[in-house]
Amino acid sequence: MEEPLLRVQDVGKFFPPRERNAQPFWIIRGLTFTVAEGEFVTMIGPSGAGKSTLLNLIAQVDTPSEGEIAFRGRTISSPRSTVLRPGFDRQIGYVTQEDNLLPWRTTLDNVLFPLELRGGADAQGRARAGELMAAVGLAGFERHYPHELSGGMRKRCALIRTLLYDPPIILMDEPFGALDAQTRAQLQEDLLRLWSMRRKTIIFVTHDIAEAIVLGDRTLILSRPPTRIAGAHSIALPRPRDVHAAARQEGFAALHDAIREQVR
Amino acid sequence: MTSRVRTVVDRVVVGVGLLLLWQVAHMAAGTYWLSSPWQTLQRLGELAASGELARHAAYTLRAAGYGFVLGGVPGLLLPFLLRRLPIVSATIMPFMVAGYGLPKLALAPLFILWFGIGIESKVAVVAAATFFLVFFNVEAGVRALDLKLVRMAQILGASEMQVARHVILPGAVPFVFAGIRTATPYAIGAAVIAELISSNRGLGYLVQLGASNFDARTMIAAVVATTAIVVGANSVVNALERWLLRWRPRSGFAAGAASGEF
Amino acid sequence: MTARRTVLAGRVLLLLGVLAAWQWGHWALGDLFIPSLLAVLQRLYEVTAGGEIFGHLAITGEAAGLGFVIGTVCGVLLSVMLRLSSRLALAIEPYVMTSMGIPLFALVPLLILWFGINMAPKVVIGAAMVFYIIFIAVFAGLRAVDGRLITMARVMGAAPLQIVRKVYWPGIQPYLFAGLKLALPRALGATIVGEFLVGDRGLGFYIENARQQADTVGVFTGIVIVTVVVLGTDMLLERLQARSLAWRPIDRDMVA
Repeated sequence: MEEPLLRVQDVGKFFPPRERNAQPFWIIRGLTFTVAEGEFVTMIGPSGAGKSTLLNLIAQVDTPSEGEIAFRGRTISSPRSTVLRPGFDRQIGYVTQEDNLLPWRTTLDNVLFPLELRGGADAQGRARAGELMAAVGLAGFERHYPHELSGGMRKRCALIRTLLYDPPIILMDEPFGALDAQTRAQLQEDLLRLWSMRRKTIIFVTHDIAEAIVLGDRTLILSRPPTRIAGAHSIALPRPRDVHAAARQEGFAALHDAIREQVR
Repeated sequence: MTSRVRTVVDRVVVGVGLLLLWQVAHMAAGTYWLSSPWQTLQRLGELAASGELARHAAYTLRAAGYGFVLGGVPGLLLPFLLRRLPIVSATIMPFMVAGYGLPKLALAPLFILWFGIGIESKVAVVAAATFFLVFFNVEAGVRALDLKLVRMAQILGASEMQVARHVILPGAVPFVFAGIRTATPYAIGAAVIAELISSNRGLGYLVQLGASNFDARTMIAAVVATTAIVVGANSVVNALERWLLRWRPRSGFAAGAASGEF
Repeated sequence: MTARRTVLAGRVLLLLGVLAAWQWGHWALGDLFIPSLLAVLQRLYEVTAGGEIFGHLAITGEAAGLGFVIGTVCGVLLSVMLRLSSRLALAIEPYVMTSMGIPLFALVPLLILWFGINMAPKVVIGAAMVFYIIFIAVFAGLRAVDGRLITMARVMGAAPLQIVRKVYWPGIQPYLFAGLKLALPRALGATIVGEFLVGDRGLGFYIENARQQADTVGVFTGIVIVTVVVLGTDMLLERLQARSLAWRPIDRDMVA
């Protein structure tokens, strides 16, 4: 059997109890799933379901208390890991809930930042950055500082910053969570268009069922803590998808209802 | 636009009013007690023409400058060093807090005793005063560091050095400036105080010289000159800060003033 | 837990190290530069047992206290006035900012000329020092009071005086206390430095007088006493503040 790109095996994470003699709080326990190369997986779960914790474990910002995480068949994280390697040497990209742009860098310099960290941006990198910025409507804002941009623009900037250095897998933690419906739909469209250009592997966490269906090839449903996989659905809607019309497509409503039943 | 004009008019009115008040007080008290604005200006002109003002100001500024560098540079670097040494940091912190709380100017007699009445004792007073101000402002900056940004940079592949250069250092700049902004008037003030206590040169000495001759004109002229220098130094620092921190949303007058120390 | 013990041990060691360096400095440099620990302890005992120092302390305390009260009252009054009239605030802003550049202690010789060699110059200096700290703190506090809270109170039918008592007062409290806490040790310090320059009694006089007589033991003793008094006041205020504002998280850096 072919080894999946990412394998999360029986992973658990607990937080030590506040008071002595109290039970530790397991936010995640016995969580198992795999992600194939080029797959767009969406994850949905109730608030407080340890979604961000899970992504932090995969991105190696945190170590699991039990289980292991394997990337291309190689264990990269387990309770025995002593050294954290955030991003696993640029193999795992991470678009967090907050944009985390460096406030003292212009939009363009923020986008180029990952290239600069590896010896500087060559002409090809710059051209690609320009393309990406144009693709998400940031052309003309290259010299602006983050505080001069709207929330949606900052999100786009953070998104293409990660796309630019092209990590094999990208984690996204409710990246469009705090935006208004209009901007959100626009960004979903942008993301789908960018994704269709180079089918990256993406794990996209959200609490919006419609978003999970519109974007993903497959959606995983997370339970309340201790969080595990409570269900999985393949999404057979044809691509390319129209963000605005998806809800009227055949099968959408049934899927939506089925997922809502399971997200408790 | 009209409200702006009104503000300018108001300010001119207040300024003229203050000068008038000064003039009236002068006429009531006499030149011996309080020289008039015009007399003070004349005296300033005399001092400037004779080169005395420049000589004394240069002395004071030299003492303040040396002391600023001597105290400010370690105060600037130490917090970055301590960031990597939490145990050492926790160990020395109470001593630092005590040093910060102590009125450093009260050490002036000790420094004069040790270093004599030359420039060395002034430099020492300024350095002692500057060090703690800069240290605590920068320390606050290093502490307030946004860990999420550090983590994000690591995920994007930044090495330890790159994190320091691209995230920690620029993030600390506003705090470094808060320290410099606070310490600048303090450094000049400390040099002047040391000169007041014991010196034969500098703006503080000029005030004392006026006092020993019962010459209010010279005293007030020296105070005015010192004030002008402090205000000038402040605006230089502010301009530099505005330029270096142009990536920040503009903050109001109160926000800047609230972190000041006087 | 072990890290905590290491830190504690480190602090004790460092303190001993400082004292050892002091004593070593005495041996290396001689009496004139650094007196021995023992000599300073002995002098400390003499001045406290003989009661000499308490007279000086009382004088310094009186001047600092008076300056503290005057400066606080003026600072609160001005900030409230400026809050009531933004036009006034805008009009005098450049003058207030400029006046902050005045080197306060340089005024001492002038104050001596005006008021003579008595307590007044020190009180004026202390008051001016306190004034700016309180003014800035309270002004910032008044600005930080959320306008929406005031509108809300109005909607609920609060009278102006009630708004002051129920909205403004609790809102500025942390700022005021932070300012007061910062200002009291400053007032003490300013008074002491003022006493270097003028007067024939007080802690500052004691130190400066010792210096002029090349009495290094006296200078050190005086500085040790100043340290104890100022840091003691600081710690006491910290305790008080922690108790009176237990209901809200206080930002230590709000004013300082």
